[in-house]
Amino acid sequence: MKQKEIFLGNGAIALGLLEAGCQVVTSYPGTPSSEILPEVVRLIKSAGLNTYVEWSTNEKVAFDNAFAAAVSGKRAACCMKQVGLNVAADSLMSAAYIGTTGGFVIISCDDPGPHSSQTEQDTRLMARFAKVPVLDPSSPEEARQMVGVAFDLSEEFQVPVIVRPAIRVCHARENLTWGGLKNNDQKASFEKNPGRWAATPRFRFILHGELNRKLKEIGRRFEKLDPFNFHDLKSGEKYPLGILAGGVPYSVVRDILSDEDRKDIPVLKMCAPHPFPEGLAKEFMSACEKVLVIEETDTVIEYFLRDREKVLGRFSGHIPSEGELVPEVIYGLINKTLEELQMKGLSSEGHESAIELVKGLELPIRKPTLCPGCPHRASFFAIRKARPKAIFTSDIGCYTLGINLGGVDTCLDMGAGITMASGFYHSFAHDQVEQPIVATIGDSTFYHSGPAGLLNAVYNDSRFILVILDNQTTAMTGMQPTPGLGIRADGTKGKTIPLERVVAGCGVDFIETVDPYDLKAMVKLIKKAAEYTSDPAGGVAVIIARHPCVIAYREEAIPQKKEIVVTEDCVECNFCHDWFECPALYKDPDLERTAVDQTLCAQCGVCLEICPKGAIIEA
Amino acid sequence: MENINFVLSGLGGQGILFMTKLLAQSAVNKGLKILVAETHGMAQRGGSVVSHLRVGGVRGSLVRAGSAHILLALEENEAYRNIPFLAKGGKLYANAPKTSFPRKEVRPYLEKIGIECRSIPASDIAVKLAAPMSTNLALLGFFSAFQEGPISYDELKETIAQVSPDRFREINLKVFDKGFEGGSE
Ligand code: SF4
Ligand code: SF4
Repeated sequence: MKQKEIFLGNGAIALGLLEAGCQVVTSYPGTPSSEILPEVVRLIKSAGLNTYVEWSTNEKVAFDNAFAAAVSGKRAACCMKQVGLNVAADSLMSAAYIGTTGGFVIISCDDPGPHSSQTEQDTRLMARFAKVPVLDPSSPEEARQMVGVAFDLSEEFQVPVIVRPAIRVCHARENLTWGGLKNNDQKASFEKNPGRWAATPRFRFILHGELNRKLKEIGRRFEKLDPFNFHDLKSGEKYPLGILAGGVPYSVVRDILSDEDRKDIPVLKMCAPHPFPEGLAKEFMSACEKVLVIEETDTVIEYFLRDREKVLGRFSGHIPSEGELVPEVIYGLINKTLEELQMKGLSSEGHESAIELVKGLELPIRKPTLCPGCPHRASFFAIRKARPKAIFTSDIGCYTLGINLGGVDTCLDMGAGITMASGFYHSFAHDQVEQPIVATIGDSTFYHSGPAGLLNAVYNDSRFILVILDNQTTAMTGMQPTPGLGIRADGTKGKTIPLERVVAGCGVDFIETVDPYDLKAMVKLIKKAAEYTSDPAGGVAVIIARHPCVIAYREEAIPQKKEIVVTEDCVECNFCHDWFECPALYKDPDLERTAVDQTLCAQCGVCLEICPKGAIIEA
Repeated sequence: MENINFVLSGLGGQGILFMTKLLAQSAVNKGLKILVAETHGMAQRGGSVVSHLRVGGVRGSLVRAGSAHILLALEENEAYRNIPFLAKGGKLYANAPKTSFPRKEVRPYLEKIGIECRSIPASDIAVKLAAPMSTNLALLGFFSAFQEGPISYDELKETIAQVSPDRFREINLKVFDKGFEGGSE
C-alpha cells in the first residue's frame, strides 16, 4: 500500500536507506544530519523491519561499525554532519583503499552558511581527498533516489560511496509517496583475507592502484548518470553562456531560468561530481563561450575544469567563496554575469533598497540564548562567581551559548574544552604562572571525545577544573539519548555507563556531583575543587553538574515551580542581564527597571539568588 | 495554478514550524505540491526563526528575496526584518497592535511596492484563552479570514483537527477561530 506523506529531507534520506535494503544504520547527531536516524527508527517501527540502528558514541565509531557490517556483506550506512566526517576521516581514507563487500554509504551533511557548525567545509572535497565517489542531491526526493544508486555503486565496485546533502536538502520538506518497505535478508559472512582487510603498506600500494582503476571506471559511469548528470544542449548549437551547477544551487538555477523563461542559457547539472565526468564537461564547455560554475561551498567542479579562459567561478571572482548561495545571491550573480557578457539581464525586482531600509531600523539583534530555566545558565553563573579570573575553555553544544554570560572563552571542536584546558595549563606553568582554568563540556560531548583528553591531562599532571554539564541528553541536536542514560536509538534499554565511572577510569581522584540549581552549593564546590588543583598532591578536579534539560524533561526538570517578581529595589545595574541573561528577565522601559516575562519564565527560581540588591523575589 | 511563496517568521519557541506544517499539510491535502525550508539547531534557542513554504511546481525550497507573496510574522520586529522577502503586491500579516503597525519608517516602501499590511494582537488573543503558546494559531486564523492564497479557512481548520495532539485539539481550534473572528470583523 502506497501512501503520501510530507517528509523532512532527512526523512527522505532515511526512506532511501530502507528502500535500498540498508540493514545497519549508525550515526552521531549533529545539525543538519540529526534527524536521519530518528526517521529511520520511525519508519522501521511503522513497517516492522529488523534494521539494526545505533547512536554511536562518535562519528568514527559510527563509521567503523557500519564499515564492518559492510565488510561482512550487509548493506550499511553511517550518518553524520560534515565536521563529524573529520572525526571519521582516518577511517575514511583507509576504507577507500580496502573497500567493502556489501554496500557502504556515508551520509555527510553540509552546512553552507554556516548555520550551526564551526566551518563551511565541503564534503565533496573530502570525497576527492579520500578518493571515493560522491553524490550531491538537489532535493529531498533526489536524495532518496541517490541513496539507492549509491548502494548499487558501492556494491558493484566494492568502494565506499558518500552522499552529501546540504542543509537545504536535510531541512527541506517535500511530499513523497512511499510504502511496501521490506527486510533485506542478506546474511553476514566474513571471508578471512588479511592481505586485504589488514593490508600492510606493500599491499596498500596495490590497493591504491585498484582504487584508481575503480575511480576511472566510475567516472565513465558518471558521464551518463541521468538524471543526476546531464545537460540540455541542443545539438550543433553554440551559446555565449552556459551554467554548470550541482546540488542545491542546481535547483535554484532551474527555478530562476524557468521563472525568467530563459531558454537561451543551457545548464549542465552535475550532482555526481567525483570521480569527475570529464567527457560530459568537455561536451558542454565546447558548446559554450563562457561557463558560470555554481557549486556549494568550495571548488570541486571548477577545479577539474581545465579551460580557465572559459570558466567563471570562484577562481575568477564571479562567485563568493564564503556564505550560503541563497536564491537572491545566485540571482544577483547570474544577472551580473549577463551584464558583463552584454547579454539580456534578468527582470531585477529591486529588494535591495528594502535591505538598506531594514538595516536602518536598528532592529534588536536576536542572538540565540540558553532557554529560560536552563541548568547551564546556573552552572556558568556559579563558575564565574567562584573563579572570576579563570580562562573558560568550552565545547560544542547548547552550552556554547554560555558565551553570552561570559562563561565561554574558547570553542574549537568536540572535546577541546578539555584538551585546550591542559594546553593552557602547561603553557602558563611553563612560565611558573598559576592561571586558573575552568573547562566545561556537555555529557554527550564528553562521551564523544572527552576521555582521551582527560586521560592525557591526568597522565601529564595538568591542573584545572573540569565541569561536566550533565543535562542527561544531547540537547542541541534534538534530545538524543547518551550512554549515561542507557537508552538506545530505538528506545530499547542499553547498559548505563555513568559519567563517574568513565571519569574515574581516566585516573581522576576528585569527582563530585552537584545540582547547579543550588548555586551556593556549586560555588562552594568549585572553590574546594580549586584548592585541590593547586595542592601539590592534587590534580585535575572534575565536577559533574547534574540537572535535566528543561526542554527534554519538561515535567521533572523543575519540581518546585516558583513565581518570580522584580521589586522596586531594582536599580537597573544590569548585573542580572550581563551575568545571567535569562530571556524571561527584561528591561521594562515603562517601569524603568527589570521585569519578568511570565509567558517565558520557567519558574525555576534560580534567579532568586543572583540580584545584588535582592530585588528578585518570590511572589 | 501560479506558484505561491510564503515566508513565516518569528522567534524560537513561537511555533513557526507547526504553523508551517499546518499550511503545508493543507496544501498537500488538496493535491498541491509543496516545498518547505526550515530552521533547526542553534537558532531555535530563542533566535530569529524563519521558514519558507512554496506551493506549486518549484525545485528550490528557499523563497528568493523579493518574491514572497505572503509574509506571516509572529512578532513585530521579525515582520520588519523580513520585508525584503516581499514581492510587489504581497501581503503582510503580523502579530502586532492594530493601530501602530507598521511603523512609519517602512510605510513609504510598503506603499511603493503595493504591500497590504494587516495586523492583530495575536498574542493577547492566545493569552486571553489561557494558551500563550498558541499565538501562531491566532495569527493563522486571522490570516484565513482574508481568503488569501490557495488554502481556505475550512481546509486549515480540518488540518488543525487532523494533526493536533489529542489534548491540544480543542484549544487549538478555539484559538484559531478567535483569530478568524478578529479577521472577519
Ligand atoms: S535545550 Fe536544554 S540544554 Fe539546551 S539551552 Fe534549552 S534547557 Fe538548556
Ligand atoms: S525563575 Fe528566574 S531564572 Fe528561572 S526562568 Fe524565570 S526569570 Fe529565568
